[in-house]
Amino acid sequence: MAATESVYRPAAPTISAPAALGSAGGIATEILWVAYRSLRKLSRSPFLLFFTLMMPIIWLGMFSQTFGTVFERATNVPGQAPLPYDYIAVLLPGIAVMSAIQSAAQSGFSMVSDIETGFMDKFLVAPISRASVLVGKTLADGVRMAAQTAIVLAIAEIFCVAFGWKIPFATGVAGCAMIVLLVAAFGVAFAGLSNSVALFTKRTETTMMVSFTLTFPLLFLSTAMLPYDLLPGWVQAFSKFNPVSYIATAARTLILTGWNWTEIGQAFLAVVIVAVLLYSLAVFAFRRQTA
Amino acid sequence: MSAALAAPRGIDTPTEPMIDVAGLVKVYGGNEGDTGEGVVRAVNGIDFHVDPGEFFGFLGPNGSGKTTTIKILTTLLRPTRGAVKVGGLDVVERPQDVRKLLGYAGQSIGVDGDLTGRENLRLIGHLYHLPGSVVRDRVEELLDVLQLTEAADRPAGTYSGGMRRRLDLGSGLVHHPPLLFLDEPTTGLDPQTRNAVWEYLRTLHRTERMTIFLTTQYMEEADQLCQRLAIMDHGRIVAAGTPHELKAGIGADLITIRLPQDGSFEANRARALALAHTVPGVAGAVEFEQGVTMRAVHGGATLVEVLRRLEAEKVPVNEVAVSPPTLDQVFLQHTGREMQVEEVRPASRGPWAARRN
Repeated sequence: MAATESVYRPAAPTISAPAALGSAGGIATEILWVAYRSLRKLSRSPFLLFFTLMMPIIWLGMFSQTFGTVFERATNVPGQAPLPYDYIAVLLPGIAVMSAIQSAAQSGFSMVSDIETGFMDKFLVAPISRASVLVGKTLADGVRMAAQTAIVLAIAEIFCVAFGWKIPFATGVAGCAMIVLLVAAFGVAFAGLSNSVALFTKRTETTMMVSFTLTFPLLFLSTAMLPYDLLPGWVQAFSKFNPVSYIATAARTLILTGWNWTEIGQAFLAVVIVAVLLYSLAVFAFRRQTA
Repeated sequence: MSAALAAPRGIDTPTEPMIDVAGLVKVYGGNEGDTGEGVVRAVNGIDFHVDPGEFFGFLGPNGSGKTTTIKILTTLLRPTRGAVKVGGLDVVERPQDVRKLLGYAGQSIGVDGDLTGRENLRLIGHLYHLPGSVVRDRVEELLDVLQLTEAADRPAGTYSGGMRRRLDLGSGLVHHPPLLFLDEPTTGLDPQTRNAVWEYLRTLHRTERMTIFLTTQYMEEADQLCQRLAIMDHGRIVAAGTPHELKAGIGADLITIRLPQDGSFEANRARALALAHTVPGVAGAVEFEQGVTMRAVHGGATLVEVLRRLEAEKVPVNEVAVSPPTLDQVFLQHTGREMQVEEVRPASRGPWAARRN
C-alpha cells in the first residue's frame, strides 16, 4: 500500500475547503443521499425486496377469501338489492394501510443495525443535520410503501378484469395516486414510532415487539377492516381517535364513491399530527444518542 | 448552521493547539460525584494538547478511557465536565463546525456491507456536500491508494478484515480533513496488513502534514508511529511525552543475567543479587526464575563491571543481555502491572457476510 509518494493531496490550507461546506446543497441533499443509500441497500437484498412487495398481495388474497362471505351475509338485507361491490373493495384501503404500517414497524431495524455496525458514527461525525439521517431513512421506507400500495391496487384491478372482482375504483387512476400518496405519507409518519423505540432501546427485538404489538390494535380498532357502521359500539368510539381510521375512510371513499375533500383533508391532518408527535419523540431519542 | 464559517482562528499559528483538552471528565450512568452501581467514571480528569501536524497517540489497555476520549473529541459523546477544543472550537458549543475539520475511523468498522466499496466512499463524499466531480475524482484516487480499485464494485460485505479497515480509513479521508481520528486502526489485523496500514499512515502524515490522533493497545504501534503519546490507565493519563522521553524516563537499560540451572542455582542467585547491589550504577536489582535482572543508566558499562565482580566471586554465568527500555516497561513502571492486550473482534465476519438477503 502507498507505494508511491503521490498519495492523496488535500487542499493546502486544509481548513478552507471543509469550512465552505454547509452553505451549499443543504438539508435536501443530505436527505436524498441518506434515502438513496437505504434504497440501494434494499435493491441489494432481492429476497427482502420480493417479499416486501408480495406481502400486501398475500394479505389481499387471504382476507378476501376468508371474510368475503361473512361480509356479504352481514350486508345482505332481504328485500334490497345486494351491494354493487365485493368486500374486497371495502377492504382494499385496509390492506394498503396494513402493509404500510408493517413496513413502518420495521423502519427502526436499519437504525439499530447502523448503530451496531458503527455506520451510524459515519453519519454522526459528518457535519449534517441529525434530522436528515432520520428523515432520509424513513423517506426511503416511504418509497417502499408507495410501491407496495401501487402494486396492491394494480393487482386488485387485474383481479377485477381476470376474475370478475367487483371494485368500483370510482376516482380512477388519479384517485389511486391519491391513495398511494396518503398511505405512504401515513406510513412515513408512523415510522417515527419504530425509529424512536430503536433509538431508545438500540435493540431489534424490542423494536419489533413494541411496533407489532401496537400495529394490530391500531388496525382492528379502526375503520380499516370494516366500515364504521358495522363496528361494535366501543370500537366505533375508539376508532374516532385512531388516525388509521381517517386514512382508511378517505381511501375507501375514493374507491367506492368519489372525491371527498373533507375526508382527504382530515386524513392529511391526521398524518401531520402523527408525524409531529412521533418525530419529536424520535429526534429527542436521536439527541440522547450523543449524550 | 452559520452560512459562511470563517476559518477557525489559530490553525496556522503553531502556538494554538489543534486539540486542547483541560479537566476532561466523562461519567456514564450518572453525574460527576455520583457513585454506586452502573456509574462508570470512564475518563477521570485528563489534560493534554496536540499541536497542528502532530502524530499523537493514546496508549492503554481496554477500558482505560481511550475510546471515550476519542468519541468526545469527534462530537459523538458529550463530556461530563471539562473544556474540549478542536481546531480552536468548543466541541459542545460548535459541534457542526468541529465536524467539518475531522475525519474519523472508529473501532467498529463503519462500512456498509451492502454497498460496494466505491459506493461507500461516494456516499460519504456527498454527505460532506462535495461537488459530484470532486467526489468522483477523490474516490478513484483513494481506491487506488488503498489498493481497493479491483474490489471497488464488490459489496463491502465480501471484503477481508484488512480491506474493510482500509475502506473505513478511506471514508475518513474523502473530504480531506486536516485532522484524522483513528480508534485502534489495526486491532484484529494480521501483521502484514498492520504494517501496510502503518506505512500508509506515515506517508499521509509526512506528505500532507495532517494531524493524526490515534488510540492503540499495541506498544509497538505507539512506538513506531507516534511523535508524542499519552499512556492511559483507568481514565487517567499516567505518563505523556515522546516515546524516547518516556523510555528515557525509566532512566535505565535492563540487564539480565541468567545462571546455570544446577544444584547450586539458588545459592548462586542469592550471591549474584547481593553482588549486584554493590555495583555503582545499578538502580535496582531483582531475582527472577532464571537469574537476576537489574536496571542501570549505562547498561553496557555497568554490565562489564557486574561481570568482572561475578568472575572474581566465582559465580558461574550462563547468559547475559542488555536491552534498552521499552514502552512495556514504561507502562509497568507507571501502573505497577503489565499491559494485557485483548483481541476481541474477529478480523472478518466470515463466509456468510456476503450472503445476506
